[in-house]
Amino acid sequence: MMEKTTDPTKLRHWEGKIEAYWVYTSGKAGDYFFKRLKEEGKFTAAKCRKCGKVYFPPRIYCERDFEETEFIDVSGEGEVRSFTIARLDPYERELPKPQIYALIHIYGTDGSLIHLLGEVEPENVKIGMKVRPVLKPKEEREGRITDILYFKPA
Amino acid sequence: MMASSAPSSAPRAVKKMDWLRACPPYAPGTYVREEDIRGEKVTFIEDRPDLRYSWTAGQAISRFLNGLKEGKIYGVKCNKCRRIMVPPRVFCELCYKPIDEWVELKDTGTVLTFSISYVGPDAEPLPEPVIPAVIEVDGASPGMGILHILGEVKPEDVYIGMRVKAVWKDEKEREGAITDIKYWKPLEMRR
Repeated sequence: MMEKTTDPTKLRHWEGKIEAYWVYTSGKAGDYFFKRLKEEGKFTAAKCRKCGKVYFPPRIYCERDFEETEFIDVSGEGEVRSFTIARLDPYERELPKPQIYALIHIYGTDGSLIHLLGEVEPENVKIGMKVRPVLKPKEEREGRITDILYFKPA
Repeated sequence: MMASSAPSSAPRAVKKMDWLRACPPYAPGTYVREEDIRGEKVTFIEDRPDLRYSWTAGQAISRFLNGLKEGKIYGVKCNKCRRIMVPPRVFCELCYKPIDEWVELKDTGTVLTFSISYVGPDAEPLPEPVIPAVIEVDGASPGMGILHILGEVKPEDVYIGMRVKAVWKDEKEREGAITDIKYWKPLEMRR
């Protein structure tokens, strides 16, 4: 009596659309980070004045002892902690070229960033690989995470 | 040995302002104004996600709704517990097994329970009250019924156990929806 189906359109169905629009601001520390990235191509981290923990992405206060932080410059270089290879885009369409998403530990900080790897073939990516950021030219930068094009092997 | 005097780390009275300083999450924040965003004074991201969905009635209800278009009420039967169920389902929840067959039911039934509503779905007052009722459909097992509305009857004349019959829309107006039955009308009146 039961037929298996995975296609809802073969049965009685209703289609709808949820309207949604949102704006997400970067916050105080995020705003500073993106503006420095845009204007000077520099990476900012935040160091706790009390325990010395270095937050990356930067935070305005230390979550361990509630102390205020100070912004410090870091090189943006780091190493691959973890990675995955995406062959489909968010709409499940095949990508012309696979993309490599990596969790990159940023040197001089206690934090990491998820971003793309470039100038490297998927089969050559290794955990622990040293990488450095490649930025868009200054005139094209908008103060967004995509101002970093990708990280490439250092 | 117990220390006779409080150690220097003993908690002292904390003034409210100390807490505000100590806990940045509670500190007064910086409001973002519309012009900060429109004037691009602050960095931000925005999105208008494409959230489309498709909701399906499932196999059993799809067949039930298609049946309504033909002026038929379908139920299902489980050969183990022998219940005839409406609305139909593909799985018998008592026997924990797939149902065995589809059965055509009658378009008459009995009022199992009812309510009188003076407000609509948006809580707006209605010019005339509506009478939602659960109708035990003839041909189905006792207690098996569908929720619908009663018509051609005054609220004060409705009673539990009243015999009713479906009033259908014209065949060409039917679209395979529960509203293909306009309402259920009494087959009898209690004196």
